[in-house]
Amino acid sequence: MKKAKVFVMCLIVFSIPLVMKIQVLRGAEKEYKFTVEEFLKAKADFDDPRPVLKDMSFKKMMPPEVYGKLIYDVEEMKKLWAECIGFKSPDEVGKIAPEIKPGKYSYMDKGKYPGLKELMIPAHYEMFNPGKSPHAGNFPEIEVVPTRQYYWSTPIAKATKENMGRTKLDSEGYINNDTYVAGYPFPRPSGGFKGQQIMYNWEKRYFSGENFYMVQRLLGFTKGLGVDFDGGIYWLQIRLHGRAMFEPYGWYDKRAQDQKEATGVAVAYFAPRDSFGNAFNIVYYLDRDRFDNWLLYINSLRRVRKMTATDCQDAVGGQDVIYEDRDGFSQKLSPKRYPYKFEVIAEREYLVPAPTWDGSLYMTSPSKGLELRNIQFERRPVYVVQLTQQDPNYVYSKRIIYFDKETFNLLYIENYDQKKRLYRNLLMIPCFNPEMGLLLFFDYIMRDFLDLHSGRGRGYTLPAPWVTRDHIDMSGIVKMGK
Amino acid sequence: MKKRKLLMFVLMAGLIIALTVSSAFAEEFSVLGRPLKIFGFATQEAAFGLENKYDSENGLHSALMNLFVEGEYQITKDLKFYGSGMLTVDWAYQLNANRDSWNDRLFPKSRDNLNVDDKYWQLLKEARLTWSPGDFMFRAGKQIVSWGELLAFRIMDQINPLDQRRGFSDIEFETTIIPIWLLRADYNPKIKLSWLQDLGFEFVYNPNADFIPNQDLKSGNADGGIWAPNVPISGAHLATTYADIRTPERWKEGNEFGLRVKANMLGAMTTLNFFYGRDNSPVALFAPPYMSPVPPNIFASDGKVLLHPFQEGKYPLLKFVGATIAKEITPLSAVSFLGGVAPVVYLEALYAFDSTFAFSNPLSGGVIQRFGKSDDFRTGMELAWKFKIPALNPRAYFSFTGEFFYRRIMNYPSFEEISGLKTNNYQTFLSVSTSYFHNKLNPSLTWIHDINSNSDYYIPKLVYDLDYHWHFTLGAQFFNGTKKGQLFQMFDDKNEIFFKVAYKWG
Repeated sequence: MKKAKVFVMCLIVFSIPLVMKIQVLRGAEKEYKFTVEEFLKAKADFDDPRPVLKDMSFKKMMPPEVYGKLIYDVEEMKKLWAECIGFKSPDEVGKIAPEIKPGKYSYMDKGKYPGLKELMIPAHYEMFNPGKSPHAGNFPEIEVVPTRQYYWSTPIAKATKENMGRTKLDSEGYINNDTYVAGYPFPRPSGGFKGQQIMYNWEKRYFSGENFYMVQRLLGFTKGLGVDFDGGIYWLQIRLHGRAMFEPYGWYDKRAQDQKEATGVAVAYFAPRDSFGNAFNIVYYLDRDRFDNWLLYINSLRRVRKMTATDCQDAVGGQDVIYEDRDGFSQKLSPKRYPYKFEVIAEREYLVPAPTWDGSLYMTSPSKGLELRNIQFERRPVYVVQLTQQDPNYVYSKRIIYFDKETFNLLYIENYDQKKRLYRNLLMIPCFNPEMGLLLFFDYIMRDFLDLHSGRGRGYTLPAPWVTRDHIDMSGIVKMGK
Repeated sequence: MKKRKLLMFVLMAGLIIALTVSSAFAEEFSVLGRPLKIFGFATQEAAFGLENKYDSENGLHSALMNLFVEGEYQITKDLKFYGSGMLTVDWAYQLNANRDSWNDRLFPKSRDNLNVDDKYWQLLKEARLTWSPGDFMFRAGKQIVSWGELLAFRIMDQINPLDQRRGFSDIEFETTIIPIWLLRADYNPKIKLSWLQDLGFEFVYNPNADFIPNQDLKSGNADGGIWAPNVPISGAHLATTYADIRTPERWKEGNEFGLRVKANMLGAMTTLNFFYGRDNSPVALFAPPYMSPVPPNIFASDGKVLLHPFQEGKYPLLKFVGATIAKEITPLSAVSFLGGVAPVVYLEALYAFDSTFAFSNPLSGGVIQRFGKSDDFRTGMELAWKFKIPALNPRAYFSFTGEFFYRRIMNYPSFEEISGLKTNNYQTFLSVSTSYFHNKLNPSLTWIHDINSNSDYYIPKLVYDLDYHWHFTLGAQFFNGTKKGQLFQMFDDKNEIFFKVAYKWG
């Protein structure tokens, strides 16, 4: 009886700070988010052409006061961004194979329109076929749409314009992060280090915004086009430096400034069963010689475990990417650790998959060949950057990356093994929100040409100023974990 | 009582079957507008003993089935419920029912203990409510609280008991750690210091709502089944122990308190730990008549006498302080030909005060015993590393986990002995694994070596993951030792090969 009283006393003692805390929480920003089930209801994994970005529009998903702060005058954004980069993409294209006009094309038209081969990235031209083994993601039909001007939101463009020319590279072409403030650091890449400048534009990307919440489905496919991996994650991210969209601007806080923190993420797996309840956080540092801080909550151990961020060359479970393939390419550029030779091997227009504006892009089911449908193609000005690995011990000997010249977004990447064989590639198809001036994560196809496997990541990303450090720290992953 | 057990068994099986055949069995669906995630797995293993001795069964000696279901329901933004249940059945008792060697060696008598896990705390694994307002997290219910850093040797991880009735290397984590009724409160203050990334305080309270101790290996085939240790006694076998172990009275005794401070600072993860509670394993002394045959089974099938130990004991206090640290060794990441991965070193150390042991007089053959006290120091180090061996695997790394464990009995008696322990005790653990064919084929080798007894335990294993549903494992367990009656030597008749198929939902 006495012990039972002690037990009750403990409960009361526990409650005191809670009551105090609740008072504080009343003022906290509202967390708006959605579950994977809601996402799948709006758009199933296969055979679902519904325009999810209309049905689940950002306007519907976000509180009006938040959405209102994120939209800007479209014409102003277009003008400002064109001033930053010095051109508008519609003016840059139309010179190669001009006979390819907007309209619908089938893979059977390849003979009729030989210009398609010249205009498309070779791998995409191969994918322009009916779905078939051994890889998912072919497209038998495409719709060529007129080239549109893409742009980043007003605050990103303003930061880019204001800081143009400030970011410096060292004598070897590596960024001096002390000179970077915000925005895209090299809006007009040029000179001997043009390749590095393009890569740093990607490193400092505003892809998906600054603070965001994302639900992502991850599917893996065998060479027989059967599903062998079915998983997914909730992803929360904060940009900790070079902030332009959400307050606080510049550095997120003093710690971010002192520690030179680039980005913080927290990820929780909701499937498959073995991964359910795993959660991790990573703080990425700007210092290229400093390893990122990675904590993993392991579901089966019910324990947070420190991991090494240098374990980045093994394939991520069930997928066709390594950790350094996040967003296509996320490797730290370093003159010491797996350094590259940088070359811009082409700068020309290509007919490439266009960002989806309405989310009607979809994949057919395995029985129908895992084809991408409702896929639009657009002539885009493109940089092709070749990174040749100088250390023969790295998993890849060479990476060839196709960047959109107007947005600096990664379109497509090919990774070659040390025997110079094409090992993996990744095709990124983001979505574009014209009112916000944001490209956000939407869909990607990844392929492994040695193990004959492929995968797809698809998701829905919401800009989320409510994501704070509390979500991405150690306690955050304990709460997210099993 | 039997009806109640049967009812629980039927309910559990029914729940699992209903959930698994339901078309709505997705990884996440909505209940009352809130997300409910449900997962599960079913495993069936068949293990074949390789020895034909009195304490083993040559041929099928274990056919463990696990049906596991877990679910998480997000009640509000800050409130969620997690529950899991499992049904474990060893079909070897049914499949071997007509086998003479099985029956002659008295294995069927261990059926009550090992055939079906039908106690409520075995069927209900976890049932806990988590409330996480702001910087706090409160968790109440049947749960696991895991402390420490090492994966193989449990040093700081003393809160939850273990189920090791079926050997050392069980099939799934969920089958070895026993969740118990606990209250946990975490406080993670917002830190403004740049060198300190995270700071957390964790308080754990065990009101002893139900005392669930370690489920250790049992002596004698009639109680321990195929895992009964082969203790060398001239002309006899060690049979079932008759033990009178005093357990702490629910609520009134055996309350436990734990406090842990966690900090992620200067690139290292550190913890300080304090615990006051009960040891999960009993300390027992021989009691009259000490060792004796008990009718009706006086003799074993090989003609030797079956000697039953008689014991009295208790679950003594366990009080310790400890610390852990985990940090990357960054210079090794510069060795690019090995893959450029920085190993992570995990260290933990525990100092227990006034721990209770059974001190035995060696002149009595270990029969005359008394409770003795000594401080107890335990420490261990783990090195987790991944490296490349392109000749063996050009596409994936090899994962290496090596551990060293040291335990010192600080006040070891000068004349008496403590069974199974010396002043200084050492063990090592090594595990190496890799993967082929897009992570589908995963070979691994695990080796535990006890330095004091010079005995070894090996687990070679090959896992084939067909997809996210189906997983197949072919493996073996081998024991050997040079000193009779010491640790792994006592299991060298238990060598086995096993095959397991697992189907996972969600």
